[in-house]
Amino acid sequence: MLTSKRLILAHFWLAFIVFGVALLLGAWQMLVRSPLVPWISNPEWYYRSLTAHGTVMGYAFPTLIAMGFGYAISESALGQPLVGRRWAWLGFGLIVVGAVMALVPVALGLASVLYTFYPPMIGSPFYYIGVVLVVVGSWIWVALMSINLAIWKRANPGKPVPLAMFANVAGSYLWAWTAVGAALELLLQIIPVALELSSTIDAGLARVFFSWTLHAIVYFWLFPTYIAYYTIVPRAIGGKVYSDTMARIAFVLFLVVSMPIGIHHSFMDPEVGAGFKFLHSAFTALVALPTLITVFTICASVEIAARLRGGRGLFGWVTALPWSNPIMLAVAFSFVMLGFGGAGGLINMNYQFDATIHNTQWITGHFHLIFGGAIVIMYFAIAYDLWPHLTGRTLASLRLMRLQLWLWFIGMIVTTFPWHWVGILGMPRRMAYFDYTNPALAVDAFSVILSVIGGFILVVSGILFFVVLLRGQTAPQTDSGPYRFATAVHPPVTVPAALNGYALWVGLMIGLTITNYGYPIAQLALRPGTAVPAVYVGGQR
Amino acid sequence: MSPTPSPSSPQASPRADNWHTRAIGVTVLAFVVSAVVGFVALPLAQPDLKLKDVWDAICSAAGVASRPTAEKPIEPDFKVSSVVLTPDLLNLEDAQSIGRGATLAHQCAICHGPAGISRADSPNLTGQYASVVYKELKDFKTGARVNAVMTPFALVLSEQDMIDIAAYYAYLPRLPSPRADGTPPPRIVANGDPMRGIAPCGACHGELDNKRGSPRIDGQPAQYILSQLQAFASGERRNDISQQMRTIARQMTPSEMEAAARYYSGESR
Amino acid sequence: MTATSSSSSPGGGDHDGAELSARIERRWATLSVAIVVLFTAVAAFAGIHQAVMPQARVETINPTTLHLSGEFVESNLGSAVESDGSVTVRAIAQQYSFVPQCLVVPTDTPITIRATSPDVVHGLIIMGTNVNTMLVPGYISSLPMRFDRPGEHLMPCQEYCGVGHEGMWAKVKVIDKAAFHKLAADKRRLSCVDE
Repeated sequence: MLTSKRLILAHFWLAFIVFGVALLLGAWQMLVRSPLVPWISNPEWYYRSLTAHGTVMGYAFPTLIAMGFGYAISESALGQPLVGRRWAWLGFGLIVVGAVMALVPVALGLASVLYTFYPPMIGSPFYYIGVVLVVVGSWIWVALMSINLAIWKRANPGKPVPLAMFANVAGSYLWAWTAVGAALELLLQIIPVALELSSTIDAGLARVFFSWTLHAIVYFWLFPTYIAYYTIVPRAIGGKVYSDTMARIAFVLFLVVSMPIGIHHSFMDPEVGAGFKFLHSAFTALVALPTLITVFTICASVEIAARLRGGRGLFGWVTALPWSNPIMLAVAFSFVMLGFGGAGGLINMNYQFDATIHNTQWITGHFHLIFGGAIVIMYFAIAYDLWPHLTGRTLASLRLMRLQLWLWFIGMIVTTFPWHWVGILGMPRRMAYFDYTNPALAVDAFSVILSVIGGFILVVSGILFFVVLLRGQTAPQTDSGPYRFATAVHPPVTVPAALNGYALWVGLMIGLTITNYGYPIAQLALRPGTAVPAVYVGGQR
Repeated sequence: MSPTPSPSSPQASPRADNWHTRAIGVTVLAFVVSAVVGFVALPLAQPDLKLKDVWDAICSAAGVASRPTAEKPIEPDFKVSSVVLTPDLLNLEDAQSIGRGATLAHQCAICHGPAGISRADSPNLTGQYASVVYKELKDFKTGARVNAVMTPFALVLSEQDMIDIAAYYAYLPRLPSPRADGTPPPRIVANGDPMRGIAPCGACHGELDNKRGSPRIDGQPAQYILSQLQAFASGERRNDISQQMRTIARQMTPSEMEAAARYYSGESR
Repeated sequence: MTATSSSSSPGGGDHDGAELSARIERRWATLSVAIVVLFTAVAAFAGIHQAVMPQARVETINPTTLHLSGEFVESNLGSAVESDGSVTVRAIAQQYSFVPQCLVVPTDTPITIRATSPDVVHGLIIMGTNVNTMLVPGYISSLPMRFDRPGEHLMPCQEYCGVGHEGMWAKVKVIDKAAFHKLAADKRRLSCVDE
């Protein structure tokens, strides 16, 4: 039962439009720093573009997808119209205003600080305030998800919360708490300095605050993808979820262990003690658990579909899968990229390995493979799956969809594998150009060119994605029926209270945040004499 | 949003307790084991750390900060710039300061021109960043920068005099670009040379961004720019804080210095 | 890992199927936990055997006065031979250069690099090695290193530090231990910026 179709479509359209722009910027960046073109005459343009690319892809795009998908889940999984639709529009409006407010100074070159902010560099205050508005808009969504679930629970006492909604609300709580780190950094540290109310800032403290957000935000990006794995994929390919309970456990585990691990981004930092680095490293290993559970459960669910379609043999069932179905293709690609990306992640979580690749192109390759690859390809799948229910028109061009997904998969592999390689060779990140005539960098030239080609394949795939959606607009009106989610092999009759609510898990999430972040933050905040003068960028030209 | 055990299912309550106990127990166990390994076992296993006891191990692993206690450093055998550049260095909103600066600047006009535009290959000071004028005056006064003409002038200036003069020149309009035809910059100016550690000039000197204390050099006389680059390269001029400019100038070839000087002065080649 | 028999009656919901799938799940969960424990143990083991460990102590310093006093004054930068025969290299990273821009170090010698930043966040990586650290204003980064072979490495800034970031590259020259000590006999702080 989708009643807020315009609201949901608005979120998805805005998400994909800003994604399209940022995709073009990304491809342009890859080209200008490659050996294929002469050095850019104004390096500032590169960092401007990089800031815009990161800000859109990190804050605006996935947040809008999670919100739009979240509203769709709330209505269709709970079977009740969205409560607070006007508030939802307000949240959407805040994101639009915030995104414009943030991106105008970026476009003018007044905030080339990258989406990771990097104080004591300080850009235009409008950039940071815009980002805050985007986050505040998304917090309205968090509140609405919580309220809608509470209303449903009151009407359905003791009933298991549908898996899709259970995961959706878990994701919203994760985001609410995750965003607090960056919010504290922005509100307490950066914005006062950007407004020139203060002229010094503790860069070490800012880095720790940001690490609070920077890792768990990845799991927030991941939530729509995992929800799609569990609740769209089995239904779309004619199977069932292997285990509803394991799915719930995976989602609550994300809630608990996504947070207390962010300092692995600060392994190489001088302001954090070695003990906390190890602590966060150990918990980073734990965050592999929900993914390992998911890999198992989804593979089993897919196998169920294959066997229902007559698949046989230990591995022979793979051929019985509906490979012409874009959702099947998307999940397969997503898993392959998740596998490689996850393996890379296991390397990053180790201090000893990380020392070799920290802040090299390896890291760029890693998170593009996970986010741009495994996660975003499922965003496409979600859009393909949901679109007919939102527009009332079928997306008929299955061939085009398959081509688009293939190109995205190939493009992502061709882009990110060479990135990993040059990272191992020590090529640093975020530079507007490189001197490939130097022997130590000449070995990177071929790989960098491959990445550029990958980037252009991705652009073609992105264009095809829009073609598919726009062609859908011209299809005749049909009734796609209600939007449904996959059911489990053994649908839950009762669910343990702990897996039907969040108190325990949110409690553990906050508790672990306090144990793993409390002391470092308190110590940095109280340490005298580490506030350093702000370096204003772009202001004094 | 609390998972209150539903009254309709009598088993819910003990089950819920079970989940709570196990989840909290496992979490606490994971935390304690990781903490013991990270804060006690790993530090103690490193003999190089010279830890006094377990408490010292925990403190070092927790990141309790210390100030460096290295042996006495080798002090420079020349005068370094004593200026500490911060955003609070100069407050320019003061009209009185600008007025006083205008009066004081009469003595500068012989070389730097009555409106801060020189006709004698001295630097043009009109529209220069205040922090730059202040820093150079201060460096002349302390002897970090030496010049037969400037040093005597600077020696008699008070702290407030230097602030006023800086405020005055910053208040004057900036020089128009000396390249009306929009001549593209030579490569050394636009891109520097990464492998020699040379960043684009404009990253500090104003076209791309301004680094605090770095002068605007667009429109300065070619002879002045060139002589300063040479002085930095040879080490004759050493008032750049922590060798920022000496590091770069040392790496520049004579022809690159000339190309940069010509470009910024607007002289045609 | 293949869930064979439970999927033969997928929609059934029969008691045996549920039991079986729960058992398989438990096995997989156990294996997953084992994988996680193994990875953590590898990290701890590598730490104990000192492959490379995070900086053990946090040290602070006032970034605005580095040029006035203390160990990062310009005349104290570069490589210094310590009384125990080890070498300490001091450097600063500022917008947009390393000082010294060329570091010279000996082979087969325990070396400690100490570096910091007077302005914004920088980083350094010695390419072809695992020497890699962030440089945060207000803090001193200190890490051990050792080179087996003579050679030359590039040392770029690995963190975005402003629009001149792409120009921030330094060099590390590793020279034979004997040759290094010969140079060190004449000069108390060594670098290769004048070569």
